[in-house]
Amino acid sequence: MVVKQLKDDNFLLKCATPDQAKCPQFSFGSIQIPLYCFASQSLDDSGPFGRFSCIPDDEPSTLESLLLAQWEDRMWKGIYRYDVTTSEIKIIGGRRKFLAQLNEEWNMDHLSDPDENEVCWRGDSFIFNWVKHHEELLFCVASGEKAIPELIPTAPVPNASILVLSNVTPVEYGHVFLVPHGFTSISQFMDARSLEMVTRVAMEVNNRSFRVFYDCSMPSASLYFQACYFSNPLPVEVMPVVTLWDNGLGGTRICSLIDYPIKALLFESKSNVKVSVEVLAEICSCLQGKNIPYSFLISDCGKRIFLFPQMRASANSHALSSWECSGHFVFKSRNDFDQVTEEAMLERMGTASLDEPGFQVVKQLCCSIASKLAS
Amino acid sequence: MESQLALIEQSFNYRYSVWVREALDELPDNFTITDPSISGHPIVFASRGFLKMSGYSKEEVIGKNGRAFQGPGTSRRSITEIQEAIQEERTIQTILLNYRKDGTPIWMLFHMSPVFSKEDGRVIHFVAVQVPMSRKPRWSGSGPGRDGVCEDGCRSRDIVFGSCRREVCSDSVLELEHVLAFESLFDSDNRDDEEPREASDQEKRRAAAAVNNILSLLTHYSELTGKLVCEKRCTLSGIGLLGASLIISLGRIKQSFVLTDPHLPEMPIVYASDAFLKLTGYARHEVLGCQCMFLSGVDTDPSTLLQVKESIQTEQACTVRILNYRKDRSSFWNLLHISPVRNASGKIAYSVWVQMEEGCGYQDAQGLSPEMRQRSTVGAVKVAVRSSSMGAGPSKS
Repeated sequence: MVVKQLKDDNFLLKCATPDQAKCPQFSFGSIQIPLYCFASQSLDDSGPFGRFSCIPDDEPSTLESLLLAQWEDRMWKGIYRYDVTTSEIKIIGGRRKFLAQLNEEWNMDHLSDPDENEVCWRGDSFIFNWVKHHEELLFCVASGEKAIPELIPTAPVPNASILVLSNVTPVEYGHVFLVPHGFTSISQFMDARSLEMVTRVAMEVNNRSFRVFYDCSMPSASLYFQACYFSNPLPVEVMPVVTLWDNGLGGTRICSLIDYPIKALLFESKSNVKVSVEVLAEICSCLQGKNIPYSFLISDCGKRIFLFPQMRASANSHALSSWECSGHFVFKSRNDFDQVTEEAMLERMGTASLDEPGFQVVKQLCCSIASKLAS
Repeated sequence: MESQLALIEQSFNYRYSVWVREALDELPDNFTITDPSISGHPIVFASRGFLKMSGYSKEEVIGKNGRAFQGPGTSRRSITEIQEAIQEERTIQTILLNYRKDGTPIWMLFHMSPVFSKEDGRVIHFVAVQVPMSRKPRWSGSGPGRDGVCEDGCRSRDIVFGSCRREVCSDSVLELEHVLAFESLFDSDNRDDEEPREASDQEKRRAAAAVNNILSLLTHYSELTGKLVCEKRCTLSGIGLLGASLIISLGRIKQSFVLTDPHLPEMPIVYASDAFLKLTGYARHEVLGCQCMFLSGVDTDPSTLLQVKESIQTEQACTVRILNYRKDRSSFWNLLHISPVRNASGKIAYSVWVQMEEGCGYQDAQGLSPEMRQRSTVGAVKVAVRSSSMGAGPSKS
């Protein structure tokens, strides 16, 4: 019944304006950038985290080295508006241990301001001005044919890939946009293939500080993710959970968080993240169909994904970004940063959180999708 | 002073009961126990052996910081190593020069281990065992003109001694009197206190065994009070783990780099990667505490050195091509990148120096060029420092 709703044509028409439905494709011409190809092994046969395991002694993975090298390279070239590592982070007093960050130059509305923006955001898609700003394109990630991951120093951008772009007004070190490119699906909907690719990026970066974020509530509906390094751990990551559904030896479980100020679900995978990714993609499409804004956080090298369904934005509330939902708040003013209290943040999260009846519906939806896909 | 002594008494009895002293006094070894949670990190227990060796009375020792026994000949490197170990709450074994009450120097193998609270993983005490060592014969040909570059690559012994002294002096007013006492004792030139040979395995074993005996006694007596202690941190609480976690994070990075602490005088090296040691031929203990410029030599262009100094002073990143020397005095061109590294408070915590030997650059197994490697190393260090320095203590609440 639930899945049927997804196939409802009205739903697609409602969400996709004619402009968006064109599925924007970028014309790259002769642009050549580094290309990272995953190993041919797909997510479902990666075994019990064989080589994806997050071992702290491990040398940084090729993908992480590539990301850091390219990001730092752009730092040397001075493309960022500021050195984000000068921003101060503190723990907000109280039992929740929320994090507050002071980033006076950060521009939250960066993406919605096409005049200001190099990789500008227009007509709900990324439009690249290659002549002036190709520096922001760091590299590209695609599926590969070989048994081990491969890095090609320069290559044309293939279809069905993830473009990694630097954010010139970063929230934290390594802040990038992950933009699915050349997938056949309508680009502004969460689809399992893009989500799988992005989760795999998180797995292969293989650093617990590296988090991937998604916000459905941004001014644009075009599909893109964000990622950056955050200090360990985010408050949401240490919360107790109760299991709603699991597939036993399959090693996947869906939980709801206990005692967290914003209603949240956790998709946890012991070995195979494919189930999590598929269920999450479905549930996201459903939420989008119901006009429920949501965010999610991919943490723990892809093994845990936190989903935050939220209230529809109204006059006295606005949707929170996924790092805010995770307990990390960014302030632009020194005064706000100094004055912040746990109570104020709890209230902010409380107003954004989905209400209990709404959350019950989402939980049921989740379990039924999971059972259906797993069967 | 009275209140501090009460605090010290309490620190010990609360944890191990009043009977532990008797048991510890039975042990033949030279050791002290210190409490880092009391201001000044004072000695709260000194063994009979230690008192005999040092020539001080118990009353003179309790409440003092361990640095009080160091003096002009104590190597800055050892001090840095010990400070680092305290900060990182880990065990350390190093060779140290201390002084007796009568002013005579004594070389020792210094072995220090933290004692953790089982309940919350905090460090409760440090146990420091001191095994006296015999002195190595004098270097032949060493004389008054023995300045310049010494064996371990530090520019000059005089500089090392000098900075060591400053450090002892700058610690606190309380310690100043000890330093003054040392100065009066050491008017004459004491710089012929050569460092002894490396500690023998027997000495190392003796130190480790002594530490084990003490730790098992402390563990046993802590069971009497119910305030259990242990040798290894047993809880997962993140408090205090940051130092160790930074070391672990940095250990992942396989390129040649060092971190220097720009807040300490002379900006000593506080971390050196394995690849750095391999590139330069030095051992880690020879490098830690040294000035990073020690790789330069006779043919190094002074204007390049100046450029490096300026970039550090102005807190800017810089890349230079500089002639450096290995321990065996062979030279290489180093494409050196230096960058300030900031912690979670946005303050500069370290400078990272990433070395890249010119001319031996091919893509590595991962397919990254040497230039990319260098950049990724800088990035990885920045991430590690920023992530690990997120203190548990709220800056404001």
